[in-house]
Amino acid sequence: MADEVVRLDKVRRDYLVGDQITTALGGVDLVIERGEFVAIVGPSGSGKSTMMNLIGCLDRPSSGSVLIAGDSTNDLSDNKLTELRSRAIGFVFQQFQLLPNTTAIENVMAPLLYQGIGTKAAKKSATQMLTQLGLGDRLNFDRNRLSGGQQQRVAIARALVTSPDIVLADEPTGALDSKTGAAVIELLKELHREGRTIVLITHDLEIAASAPRRVFLRDGLVERDERGVS
Amino acid sequence: MRILGTAALALNRIWATKIRSLLTMLGVVIGVAAIVALTSIVDGASQGINKSLATLGTNQLNITAMAADSLTEQDANALADLDNVSVMFVQAQNQGTIATRESRVNARLVGVSSQYFEAVKPEIALGSYLSSSSFAATSKDVVFGADAANDLGITKEMLGTSVKLNGQDFRLVGVLDDQAGFGTSGRVYVTIDSARKLFSQYPYVSSIVIQANTPEQVDTLQIQADVLLRERYGLGSETTARYTITNQASLIAAVGTITATLGLLLTGIAAISLLVGGIGIMNIMLVSVRERTREIGVRRAIGAKQSNILTQFLIEAIVLSLAGGVVGLILGEIAAFFLAVLGDWVFSIRLDTVLLVLGFSLLVGVVFGVWPARQAAKLEPIDALRFE
Repeated sequence: MADEVVRLDKVRRDYLVGDQITTALGGVDLVIERGEFVAIVGPSGSGKSTMMNLIGCLDRPSSGSVLIAGDSTNDLSDNKLTELRSRAIGFVFQQFQLLPNTTAIENVMAPLLYQGIGTKAAKKSATQMLTQLGLGDRLNFDRNRLSGGQQQRVAIARALVTSPDIVLADEPTGALDSKTGAAVIELLKELHREGRTIVLITHDLEIAASAPRRVFLRDGLVERDERGVS
Repeated sequence: MRILGTAALALNRIWATKIRSLLTMLGVVIGVAAIVALTSIVDGASQGINKSLATLGTNQLNITAMAADSLTEQDANALADLDNVSVMFVQAQNQGTIATRESRVNARLVGVSSQYFEAVKPEIALGSYLSSSSFAATSKDVVFGADAANDLGITKEMLGTSVKLNGQDFRLVGVLDDQAGFGTSGRVYVTIDSARKLFSQYPYVSSIVIQANTPEQVDTLQIQADVLLRERYGLGSETTARYTITNQASLIAAVGTITATLGLLLTGIAAISLLVGGIGIMNIMLVSVRERTREIGVRRAIGAKQSNILTQFLIEAIVLSLAGGVVGLILGEIAAFFLAVLGDWVFSIRLDTVLLVLGFSLLVGVVFGVWPARQAAKLEPIDALRFE
């Protein structure tokens, strides 16, 4: 059996908005195997953000089951869920979301420090990761002194530094010009070639096309699951 | 994340918002500075009062006449015969005028008996006390208190010269250095015999002072003196209108109680301003939690537990409050130092005050930081990330 890092079984997620129940996901099955590069594509309101929250261990399903790296998220306490998230998921957010008043290296060290790793070891790993991504000379730059592309690379370094099972990228090119955006996609492809599992959430079909597998969502259901170069 | 790392984060944040942090601290700074300065004032004041009282001796009883004809020299002699009385002197006093050739002022004229100076030992600035020859019936010598001397512009050269008391000639033999005393420095001292010629009717006196051999005997002596005087005047136990007996030790205790109450009152007022300072910190921390909702969401997403977020915000509040406490302490001690110089009392930094205010500001940080920190920790990561 192949190594499944994500398994969604009949996953529903309902929200209470005012006094109305809104269904964001209406019974979704999805399996992602280790080493895959999957784009989850859909217009706004299709349920892709909810999907990201569930895969990212930020949320739990209303029914059905979510297994991340073999662990079910359904019944985990907030603390256990955080531990799972810290171990299994590396987030890359749309607006970079670097921490305020911190330098590049402090951003990359943060997830390690939250895991309880000592400052010295964290600094070493963070330096390595940033150097690998071509930011070796920007370690102590703070957010305001980094370009958009550089900030996104810091964010990617932060996602990778804990060696997570899944890199979860939410519209990672959304805030970048097309050239820098293309460079970030190239970087994700390269990470995939190195064997990492990449889940890319996007509404942009062109961006999605760079992934070998594309899962199309519409109205909270999987509409299409495509493989191969589109 | 380890506590030091979290503390570093909090410090980093405080440094990044310096002006706001300073303003947030201000309430605690003022509160603590007020506590320190006020405590020091009360301390200084009670030091001064106690020093003045102590010079009078704690084994002393003052028996004061309530009317001009309440107590007599015979009462005084009877009191002097009680057991354990080492010293007895009487005073007769009245308002009068003192004059040199150049000027004339009002003063309190005090006639004292011979043991007065050796019992009270007031500090002398010029010349000498009234000597035993002064107490010889015919001599008319006078010693001025410091203020009386100042009012008349007495100089060293005028010692031995004549001054007028109520128009009668007296020879000035000394000036006391009693400026720090209890309003006694406007007085002028003559012998009790001279006083009779100036204003007082024999055999009446205005007060009798007796001293016990030891401070432990004072309470017993007070009762004995009271019993004796009641017997002499046939007074029932319920009336005391003729005289009052004050015990120096109980006076010191009373002053202690008053200054303690005063200290408590002032500290209470200062504590209220510290409370207001704490509310200021809480207010800013709540604003800060709201402003940093996205940051909290990101931190949660990259692995921060609720406890990490709670500690981060709590430490921030504690650091703000404690830093305010330290700054307030320094400012308060500086103020206390200048007050001590002005008030002429001994300046000292009291360890208990330091520990108290630092402990108090720590407490303020914890108490007023907990709620905002809990608000921050309780945020759902997805809501926090979505927050615009």
